[in-house]
Amino acid sequence: MADRNFFSSTAAERELAFIALYKKAFPAVAKYVNKMGGSFEEAKDIFQDTLVIYYEKTVNAAVTLHTNEQAYLMGIAKNLWAKRFRENVQHTLLDTRHLEITADEELQPSAARLLHYLENAGQKCMEILKAFYYDNLPVNKITELFGYSGVRSATVQKYKCMEKVRETIKEKSLTYADFIE
Amino acid sequence: MNEIKLIDDHLFNLAMPEDGLVFDALLILDPGLANRVMWQKKAHTIVQQYSRKKLKAEIETVHQKLFNEPEHQSFRQGVLALFSKK
Repeated sequence: MADRNFFSSTAAERELAFIALYKKAFPAVAKYVNKMGGSFEEAKDIFQDTLVIYYEKTVNAAVTLHTNEQAYLMGIAKNLWAKRFRENVQHTLLDTRHLEITADEELQPSAARLLHYLENAGQKCMEILKAFYYDNLPVNKITELFGYSGVRSATVQKYKCMEKVRETIKEKSLTYADFIE
Repeated sequence: MNEIKLIDDHLFNLAMPEDGLVFDALLILDPGLANRVMWQKKAHTIVQQYSRKKLKAEIETVHQKLFNEPEHQSFRQGVLALFSKK
């Protein structure tokens, strides 16, 4: 199945999509992780990061999926396993296409604090920016979801929010010095 | 507001080649621009981190539903059985 358009929609629709993907691919990933000596928790972590990567790739149309979706998810999961537990994967065929991606990078403490601040002080803006830049939703969908009067005001809000977040980060950078790195 | 878009286009390589030359010229003419580009790049990083965190929370909710709600019992048992054999 190549059509993942249902991703680019509401949280409720995404939930249904993730349930379907979980049911379709998690048993095979869990079996693989188990075979490689991993625990249920490790299988869960690997699979959840797999879904994040898959989501990001599909909403950005970075890949056109010709292959079986389950096999594709399995490919990402195997690479994530290989990356995390290199010593356990001597017999795993590495597919370098996915190795440049990571979904679980640790945040610097300052970045985490900044994020926490923005989550509280600027959540509306962060949600709008997420919809535009991360979920890659079409502007008319964003207009509808956020209740703007039109596409133009949604776009204006996007840039206002980007400016606000940019200025907040700049202002806070003195407090959260290592974020500048 | 146009400057935010201009910087976005520059960061995401959406600008036409001739706009790239204009941007390079602006960087020379406006000493503060490079600085604003840097902060906007960081803002994008933060937006991505925020979004991933939210997405992961949504996925975790799905996981909890699948591993707790009665209607997903057979799925759950199938997966957990893999790990109980050890």
